[in-house]
Amino acid sequence: MTALARVISHPPPVPGLAARSPLHGLERRSVGFVDVLAQSVAAVAPSAAATTIPLLVAVVAGGAQIWALVLATALALLVAMNVNQFTKRIAATGSLYTFVSQGLGAGAAFVTGIAMLLGYAFISMFALAGAGYYLAILTHRLWPAGAHSPLGTSVAIAGLAGLVALVLTRGIRLSTRVALVVEAASVAIILVLVGALVAHTGPAVQWSALSLHSATPQNLSVGTVLALTAFVGFESSATLGVEAKRPFATIPRALVWTVVASGVLYLLAAYGQLVGFASLGLDFAGSDSPVNDLANASGLPWMGLLLDLSIAASFLACAIASTTALSRVMFSMGRDGLLPDAFGRTHPVHHTPFFALVVAVPVIAAVPVGCMIAGMGLWDTMEMLIVVAAAGFITAYFMVCAAAPVFLRRIGEHTVGAGAASVITCILLAAVFGVYLVTESTTVRSPGVLLFGAMMVGGVGVYALRLRRNPWLRESIGVHDEPVQHDVLGGAPAESASRAGS
Amino acid sequence: MPAADPRAGREGAASPGAELRARQPKAIHSALTVLEEVARHGAGVTAQEVSDALGIPRATTYRLINLLVQDEYLVRMPDLRGFALGRKVLELAHLVAPAAPSQAVREVVAGLRASIRGGVHLVRYQGDRMFVLDADPDFPLSDTPRILRDLGVSAMGRLLLAESDTSTPPSQGNRDRPLPEDAAQQIGQLTPGYGCLALPIRDDHGDLVAGLCLSAPQQRIEEPGALLVQLRDGAARLAPLLA
Repeated sequence: MTALARVISHPPPVPGLAARSPLHGLERRSVGFVDVLAQSVAAVAPSAAATTIPLLVAVVAGGAQIWALVLATALALLVAMNVNQFTKRIAATGSLYTFVSQGLGAGAAFVTGIAMLLGYAFISMFALAGAGYYLAILTHRLWPAGAHSPLGTSVAIAGLAGLVALVLTRGIRLSTRVALVVEAASVAIILVLVGALVAHTGPAVQWSALSLHSATPQNLSVGTVLALTAFVGFESSATLGVEAKRPFATIPRALVWTVVASGVLYLLAAYGQLVGFASLGLDFAGSDSPVNDLANASGLPWMGLLLDLSIAASFLACAIASTTALSRVMFSMGRDGLLPDAFGRTHPVHHTPFFALVVAVPVIAAVPVGCMIAGMGLWDTMEMLIVVAAAGFITAYFMVCAAAPVFLRRIGEHTVGAGAASVITCILLAAVFGVYLVTESTTVRSPGVLLFGAMMVGGVGVYALRLRRNPWLRESIGVHDEPVQHDVLGGAPAESASRAGS
Repeated sequence: MPAADPRAGREGAASPGAELRARQPKAIHSALTVLEEVARHGAGVTAQEVSDALGIPRATTYRLINLLVQDEYLVRMPDLRGFALGRKVLELAHLVAPAAPSQAVREVVAGLRASIRGGVHLVRYQGDRMFVLDADPDFPLSDTPRILRDLGVSAMGRLLLAESDTSTPPSQGNRDRPLPEDAAQQIGQLTPGYGCLALPIRDDHGDLVAGLCLSAPQQRIEEPGALLVQLRDGAARLAPLLA
């Protein structure tokens, strides 16, 4: 008899397992791969990015924009690889914050945690504002008589925030499904538009798009950084470690698929727009809204309407997914003791982090509305918000890539390959981050850079104070999902034995 | 797509089956070897210990272990270093059905069927699972999937349940009929007016290995009389053939 056959027939007891996970209260192991993928894809909002990022990249990178997008995709894949060292081994709701705590300890986890909160909170604000902005444009298109007022946009944002709160409170399945449907529709519209453009201009491949004649190391790197911001949010399904079924299989796969699919979509969109402009003899980088210009110039004005609808939908899906991730990170911090205990509370019926949502959603809606009331244009506000979010994400990516080999060494599973991937990614990310901050500091978005710096310093200060008052925090942070007795052979009395008595 | 990291693509983007395709037989062999090692060592064994014990390269071992964790055959313990067998390995046991009965066994059962009016069935037990070894073709089992899934509905299942819970003799729940202590009985659970009776077959250590069952109308199950002598004789002759 083999050892395996022996333990199957007479499982020895496995001590040291609890009856429930430290992250109990959420709907454990309830959503499948498609929902997990939808969470990451929606947080990236690829269709909104596909219509805006190629233009931003083209402005700075000129003819090298396709290459900048390719490099950014490669860098995002490298980050995904490092993050997956954790997602294959730890199921958590705190995502990168929890991962870093398992590798580099409490101090580094604080920094990552603040960066993640900034990233998810500001991208939620950005997406909510974007959804409201495009909804207002859409309304204006349909009823040109109606005035374009900040009040109307504010009401739209508040209404969308209410919708987001409702969907998120009602359960993780509903949130991911709504995000999936909305984002899928949005991506389909973009693909139709790109297809229509390419069909309109002729099917011949324009190899000139790959020419490197105008590329310099500097414009290529700035272009890569901007393109990288189009991928942020791909890691957000790592916050579903408790709620996903087979999380160690589905989450790593969702991360990689999201990066690959978004990268392909961006390249298609960039190529389509580039070719479209070239064939019409227009200047791509000089356009305000390239797809709209293309649509009008090609005699396809209906595309503009579809496009605005698609972008509004994509932003809404992004707001849902980013707020989902934000609430899970706050929930994790509540269970860790870093935030007040109430943040670790879940809804008794829907099993969602109710308290975190109640606190987060009003703040997310209030910031863009407040900026508008203070007289800032909504688009300017959004540009500022995205700078803070992107800086937060890149900081967190750097931290998690640095933590990966330390964590692997701690659990005795380090390899040369994993170490090398970490070092390379960290160097690239540090370079990218430096270039990004310097570049953004010279633009009108420089207040965003300052805001990011101030909030990082302030946040870390607050946490340092909290740590001094509660030294036990150093040990308690990093809570992750643990196997419960039922998951393990021999962890709980066999099902048949418990039934025999009845 | 950028070729920066072919490994990320292979591990993540490929369909679950594709990962094994190239060297599938070898990979399955290695995976089972890893499971066997975790079973031998017991819960809490680390990836390095598995690698050292099996002489498989570190990186290969980590990848195998993480694939087994993804499929939940292995479970990573709360300390994140150690591993235990997941409940899912029980599904492996489902795949391993016992071999078909030998000719000697079939002859004993055929003899019983010739002399008894009613269905005579033979089942085998492995761990907490039951397998139908030889079902009476003239009196088919009424609902085989349900009998195998829910051990409480049949006499043969109740025999196994009683084995894992020594506090309850199998005859408990039987009516006050002249039934031996070790037999199990069921009436009307599957078909109204019918029932079944099961006698244990044990090896020389006393472990339950098989069950001999009679299914018949209710009255003959409640008062088996001489049938019981025939069945017990059959069970005694089957024991050395099945143990």
